[in-house]
Parts: sequence; structure tokens; C-alpha cells
Amino acid sequence: MSGVEIGVAAIGALIAFIVLGMPIGIAMIVVSFVAVAFIRNETVALRMIGSVANDSLEEYLYAVVPLFVLMGLLVTVSGVGKDTFDVFERLLRRVKAGLGIATVFANAVFASITGISIASASVFARVAVPEMTRHGYTRRFATGVVAGSSVLGMLIPPSLLMIVYAVLAEESVGRMFLAGIGPGLLLAALFSATVMLMALWSRRSVFERDADTRDIAPLPVAALVSKGTPILVLVTLVLGGLYGGFLNPTEAGAVGACGALVIALLRRSLDPGRFWALLVETGQVTVSVLFLIMAATFFSRMLAMSGLPTALAQALLGEAIGPYGFLLIFLVLIIVMGFLIDSISIMLILLPIALPVAREAGFDLIWFGVLTVVAVEIGLLTPPFGLSVYTIKTALGDRSLGVGEVFRGAAPFVLAMVVGLALIVAFPPIAVWLARL
Amino acid sequence: MPTHADGPGGGSGRRETFLARLWTRGVDGLAVVGTLMIVLLMIMICADVVARNLLGGSLPLISELGALTLVMIVYLQLGAAVRNDRMARTDMFLTGLARTRPRAGAVLSGLWDLAGAAVCVGIAWSTLGIFQRDYAHGDFIGVTGVLTLPTWPFRMLILVGITAAMAQFLVSAAGAFRRAARRAEGRP
Amino acid sequence: YGQETIRLTVASSHPTTIPWIGMIQTHFMPEVDRRLAETGNYKIEWQEAFGGQLYKANATLTSVQEGITDIGWVFSYLEGAKMPMSQITAYTPFSTNNVPAQLDTIVELFEKFPEFRNEWEQYNLVFLGATGSDSYDLYTKRPIASLDDLNGMKISAPGVLGTWLRGLGANAVDGALTTFYTDIQTGVSDGVLSLALGVLPTKIYEVAPHITRADVGVVFSGGLAINRDSWDALPEEVQQALLAAGAFYSKAHAQDLMDRHEMALKKIQELGASQSTPVTLTVMSPEMRKEWADRLPDLAGEWAADAKARGLPGDAFLAAYMDGLRARGEKPLRDWGAAE
Ligand code: NA
Ligand code: NA
Repeated sequence: MSGVEIGVAAIGALIAFIVLGMPIGIAMIVVSFVAVAFIRNETVALRMIGSVANDSLEEYLYAVVPLFVLMGLLVTVSGVGKDTFDVFERLLRRVKAGLGIATVFANAVFASITGISIASASVFARVAVPEMTRHGYTRRFATGVVAGSSVLGMLIPPSLLMIVYAVLAEESVGRMFLAGIGPGLLLAALFSATVMLMALWSRRSVFERDADTRDIAPLPVAALVSKGTPILVLVTLVLGGLYGGFLNPTEAGAVGACGALVIALLRRSLDPGRFWALLVETGQVTVSVLFLIMAATFFSRMLAMSGLPTALAQALLGEAIGPYGFLLIFLVLIIVMGFLIDSISIMLILLPIALPVAREAGFDLIWFGVLTVVAVEIGLLTPPFGLSVYTIKTALGDRSLGVGEVFRGAAPFVLAMVVGLALIVAFPPIAVWLARL
Repeated sequence: MPTHADGPGGGSGRRETFLARLWTRGVDGLAVVGTLMIVLLMIMICADVVARNLLGGSLPLISELGALTLVMIVYLQLGAAVRNDRMARTDMFLTGLARTRPRAGAVLSGLWDLAGAAVCVGIAWSTLGIFQRDYAHGDFIGVTGVLTLPTWPFRMLILVGITAAMAQFLVSAAGAFRRAARRAEGRP
Repeated sequence: YGQETIRLTVASSHPTTIPWIGMIQTHFMPEVDRRLAETGNYKIEWQEAFGGQLYKANATLTSVQEGITDIGWVFSYLEGAKMPMSQITAYTPFSTNNVPAQLDTIVELFEKFPEFRNEWEQYNLVFLGATGSDSYDLYTKRPIASLDDLNGMKISAPGVLGTWLRGLGANAVDGALTTFYTDIQTGVSDGVLSLALGVLPTKIYEVAPHITRADVGVVFSGGLAINRDSWDALPEEVQQALLAAGAFYSKAHAQDLMDRHEMALKKIQELGASQSTPVTLTVMSPEMRKEWADRLPDLAGEWAADAKARGLPGDAFLAAYMDGLRARGEKPLRDWGAAE
């Protein structure tokens, strides 16, 4: 068997194992080990496991993972999300479907201090959904708009997905963060437009009864200041520190986590037990992400050894398919995988295969990364497995609410994301202009 | 589909023996050390930021130590992540199988645990080699004449963590196969 | 009789845009092919994995040692603990700016000191050719008029080269070519001790426009090596071709570095002429260089003592290195290894 054939067989076996429920990281290591044993021999395969396990994670940059996760969890418990929503709820109380748009805006702002979408989904499920249903919005719409806008959490910086992509593509984390801002704002605008169009054309899907928002008080300036301060402080610390030239990404994560901790303590939303639970959760998320990164490193080294990516680039970038044909196949593949597999796993499985091809195609890898992240995030909203949808269901703890209802509610936002994706493909500067400045 | 529920591996039975409890404590203990390291990491990096921006000088070896601390966090918590079933996976097929053919489902999930254990054995075996080499050569990080730290203690901790994860995979596999056997005898 | 085809993987942690990695592709591999084509008995089917596809810079030695690649560039410079003798050039600054002379001396030391050869060959590999760096200069945010200007400055330097700043009152900040730009931009450091060839592609001159050409020295960075098991499996004719091509690569690379260094310095000044703070280049006076060399602690002595503690002939090796340089016409600014 040639190296390329072994590589193809390895990918086939990986897919089979994953579908059959083998842990994805374990599957990548097993498959890579066997493939390297065939390409070279089992001694080399064993040494490669050791080298990957010991060297590949030893990167200062990876420390951003636990730090941004911890920051996200801390702001989740500290009530900053509720304050953000309060502000927009009151500002937009006179607007048609204003609470829906307030949810989108609050998510966009909250996104600038959290790097994980599940944080956004769980916060706004508890904060925005009850408010909307109380004011006559349907539950399907309320949960749908929360699910949809939660994807902003990992598009607008900081973002765990951007960090993972930056690591795999060897791009700068700071630049990937900047590249998410334009597309994040674009999606927020598209989501708001979706909400308004729904309210105009399909009233029944948005409102259960006539929305009555007269009880929402206008916002005094003092309240605006007191509610807006914590978020402003955190954004200044993290993004200001990063782009003002005081901090590298890892340090921005540490300072952000520290700042979020102080805010949580000041607001008395943290007792020792709760803090410990957050730390444990942080650790577990870190392990599952980094173990996958480690496994994906082995997988991508095995592929390099097999020569498959080079062969694939030649095949895909030829006359018949071409760079944009490859891009289309890649994005569709991500969306299909998104039905079943979680965001980070998709990136770690596909990028080792796709990045060499994208490089060969001469794509701007920052642009390619933004497209990857948006496409991957669609999977958060699609059945049967959509992490944001499940998070909302869990956060609400309402037995009468079926996940199907939330998935249907999120569907218009999936469409909006596809439109957004097409716009970024057509107009790359949306993503790269800020990053390449 | 990643499962975020607490997995079944921990107890693996109603009659939790003293040994099983001790084991749970051990894995949790490692995880506690790993968890504390997250706080340590945060403090360490913040201290460096403060030192640099206020005192004008960086603390030595922070980036190397930060990288190693992160590796420690991962390996020390790996066992607990395995026990809580926090490894990313799709469980559509397994859940379906467990409903329609519970015995086959248990056997398959036991097999995956064995694969996990095998991967850990591979990592542990090759890490042992690296540990011995690092120890023999007195391998270090840092700069001779400024500040150096030996690397073998870190390799040792990786070994401890990966061994615990391997044992946890075996415990989980044993639990799965016991479930399969019980089903075979016709008990619920 | 037909031609026998032999598959060999050649890999590196760094991309082919780095001159000495690119020259593996443009000089080493074609030279092997050329020599083998003369008899036509063997043909190499190269499998290239440059640019960190198989391993990162922290595993260049172990990856060749363990056969993850057959042939690879070993960054011995990062292996201070495992290859102490190979570090000698980092502890003898201001000794030479002549790459061919330095690498020639190094190759000579391989013959003279079995301990030095063993330092490489104990890791299951065969040494094919040496690589070096161009010379180190200062790139800073503020101009350097005297050595006292460096007092209190934070200067980035790669790994062990932080020691070249000892005695100047500057704080060495550890980093690598990939981190220098942001480190300077973000205030982690005020400048860098680096190579023109590294500064040019990473655009460091944009954030540190003041170049002080101090010519602190060139260093032996590592070499091309082949895994011993792969080597043993090769026919004698192929082994000879590899050794010859390795020597050719090493020589060509040394001369190339000299030319490129001057070109890079010129190019930096060209590109940086129109930026907001234009690039300025000041050549450090001989007196200032001498002062710098003299203010350094006895780096070479510390190195030799450390080598001795490991049972290696530190003093003799140091003396042979310095003599080798002098024999090639170099005039070290400081007499490293002389009784102090
Ligand atoms: Na974010
Ligand atoms: Na999905």
C-alpha cells in the first residue's frame, strides 16, 4: 500500500470509529498509530506518540485555553449578562420585536468578554427567554433567538474557536481575534434583520399575543453607567491590553480571568464552593480541548508522513474542482459534520487535511479561518446535536420545552448564518480588513 | 456528540468497595492538584504582567513554566475527565444501541475503553523512555548561568497522570463488561 | 540491471523560507541526486516534510534520533542540556563574524575530539553537515550612543544568547524570532539582539528601527543529520553521496550566509527608509565593541567548568576552538580561555 492509500484508509477508519462512538481523541491516536506503523514501523509510531504527548502541548499559547474558559464561566455567574440585557431591553422598548433585537445586541456585547458560546447560551436562556415570554413572545422564537445569537460568543473576540484555529494554522491569535469583529457585527446585523422580517411577515411565529412592553421602564443614565461599567472594564483589560500593546494573548486571558474573578467577588456572586465548581469545570473543558489538540497533532503528522495532503491538493485544485470548488466542498463538509459532532472536534479533524490544500490554493488563511469558524458554529444550532440548543434546554430546566421546538426556532438564524457565510466568501475584507491593518 | 453528563464509570456498581473509594479519591486528588494549577497559572502570569508593567522587569522562565503548568493541568485531570466521560465523542449510535441491544452496547463501550487504555499504555511507555533520557542527561529548561529547572519531575507527573487515566479506562471497561455479563444472565 | 529506488524522508521544524532549510532543497538534495546519477545504480525518492509537518523546533534532535524522519536538520543550539559541547560558540562572543571559518573549525573539531563527535552520534544519528547563523546586531526602539544606554533596557534574545547582555545592565527577555515583533510592539522588550536574516522577514525593523551594527558574532546552530538505522540500511555508494553532499551543502551555506547578511542589512534600510521612524544603521565603534567584550563575565570559563563537571574536556576544546579560529585568520576581541 502506498502512503496515500494508507492515509485514505486512516481517514475512513477514523470516520467509522467516530460514528460508532469511540472518543474522538482516542480514535485519532489509534488510527494515526496504526497508519504510521504501516508507513514506517511500530517503533517509530510508538516514539511519535511519546513525542506528541510530551512536546506538542508544551506551548505557552495553549495556556489561553483554561484562562479564557475560566473568564467565560466567571462572567456567566456574575450577572454581567443580565445587566447587558437590561440595558438593551430598555433602550429598545419602543422598537417592534425590540426584545428580540435586544437579545442579539446584548449577545454581541457579552461576546466581547466571553470566549465560549455555551456561556452566552446559558446566560441569555435564563435572562432573555423569561422576559420575552412574559411580554407575549412565543417560546419558540425566544429560545431560537437566544440560540442563534449565542454563536456571536465565539466569533467576536475573545474566542476559543479562533484560538484553536490560530494554533492549527500558525496564525497570530491577536489577528484571528480582529478578523472575527467584522463578521461578528455582520451576523448581529443579519440576525436583527431576521428578527424584524419575522415580526413583519410572520407575526404568529414571533408573538403569541400582542406584545405589551409598557411596563419596561426607561433607562436612567446612572443605571446605564452602573450596569455598563463591569463589561467596559473587562473589555478594556482584555482587548485594550491586547491591542494597546501591553499584553500577549496568554496574558490577556490571565488578566481577563483575574478581572472577572474580582467582579464576581465584588458582586458577591461567588462562594468558595461555587468557585471550586467553576475551576473544576474549567479543568475538564481544558482537558477535553487540549487532549483533542494533542490527538489532532499526531493525526496531522501521520497525514504529512503519508503524503496525502499533497496528493489531495493536486487532485482538488486541478481544473475540475479548483480553489473555490474546494472551498465549497470544505464548507459543506463542515456543516454536515456539524449535525453530529462538536465544533472543536470538527476543526481538529478537518483542518489537518484542509489547511495544506488551502495554503496551496493561495487562500488568505485568516479569511479561511473566519469561514471555518462561522461554518463550524452553524453546527451549534442544527439537529440532532446542537450544543447551544441543548445548553438552552438545560439552562431553562423546563420539561415541557422540547429540543425540537428550540431547533425550529433557531432555523431562521441558521439561514442568516449561511447568508453571512456567502457574504464573507464574496467580500473577504469583511474578515481580513481589520486583521491585516 | 460530547456527553456532558456525569458518566457511569465512577461507581460502576452499588457496592462500592473500599478499594473503589480509595481509587476515586486518588483520581480526584490528582484532579484537585490540576485544578489548583489553573489558579497558579493565572496568578503566575498576572504577576509577570504586573512586574513588567510596573516594575520594569519580566519574571524569569514564566513562558516555559506556563507551558509546563498547562501540560500538568491536562495530564493530572485526564483521569477525572475519563471518569466523568468528558472526552468528546458522538453518542448517537451508542445510545441507540444501548436501547435496542443493551448487551452489545455495553460490550462496544467496553471495547472503546480498552482502546483508551491501550493509547494510554503507548503514551506511558514512550514517556518512560523520555523520562529516563531526560533524567540521565540532566535535561533542563532555561538558560545556563541564569536560571534552570530540571525537566524530569514534569515527565514524572505526566507519567503519573497518564497511568491514572489508563487505570480509569480499565475500571470503566470492567464496569461495561460486567454490565454486559449481567445482561447475559438475564438480570436487569 | 535496473536502478534501485530508495525512499528517504527529509524534514525540518522550520520552513524552506529559512535560508539553510531552503538550501537542503536547492543544494543538498540535488547534489545527492547528481552524484548518484553519475553511476545510475541508485535513485532517491525524496519525501519532503519541511516546515514543522512532522515535529516542532523543540524536537529536532529526538525526531531524527527516533527515525520519525530519516534526514533532518538538528537545531543543536536549542539542546543545551543534551549537547553541551555544541554550545561553545554561544559562550565565546566577539570571536568571529566569519561563518566559513567558524564552521570549518567546527568540522575540524569533530575529527580532533571524539567526545564532540560522540555528543552527536550517541543520539543514533550520523552528522552530514554543519549550519551556522549570520552575525548578531542590536535592533532597538531608541538609538544606542554608548553602552550605558543599554543599562536598564529590556532586550529580547533567543535562549542562551541572553548571556551576551550580562554585564551591561540590560535585562534579557527570552524569546524567539516568531515572538520578537509582538514583544517589542507590546513593550515586553525595548529591542532585540538578533540576526539581519531573521529581522528582515519578520519585519522587526518596523518596531525597532535603530540598528546598532555590533557584529557580536556568528554561532554554530546545528547540522543536517541522518538517523543511524536508516544510514545502516543504505548501500555504501549512497552513504558516500550523502556525506559528500552534506559537506557541499555546509560550505555553500556558509558562504551564502555571508552574502545574504550584507544583502539583508541593505534591504532592511531600503524598506525601512519610508516608515514613520526611518531605519538608521550605526556601526558600533571598535572601542565600544572591545568595551562590551571586556565587560562580559568569563562566559567561556563558566562554560568550560560546566563541561568539565560533566566529564568533558572543556578547557582543551575551548583552546582548540579559539586556535582554530586564529589559524583561519580570525582575531577574537577577547582571549576566551586564557587564564584570568
Ligand atoms: Na467572544
Ligand atoms: Na449540530
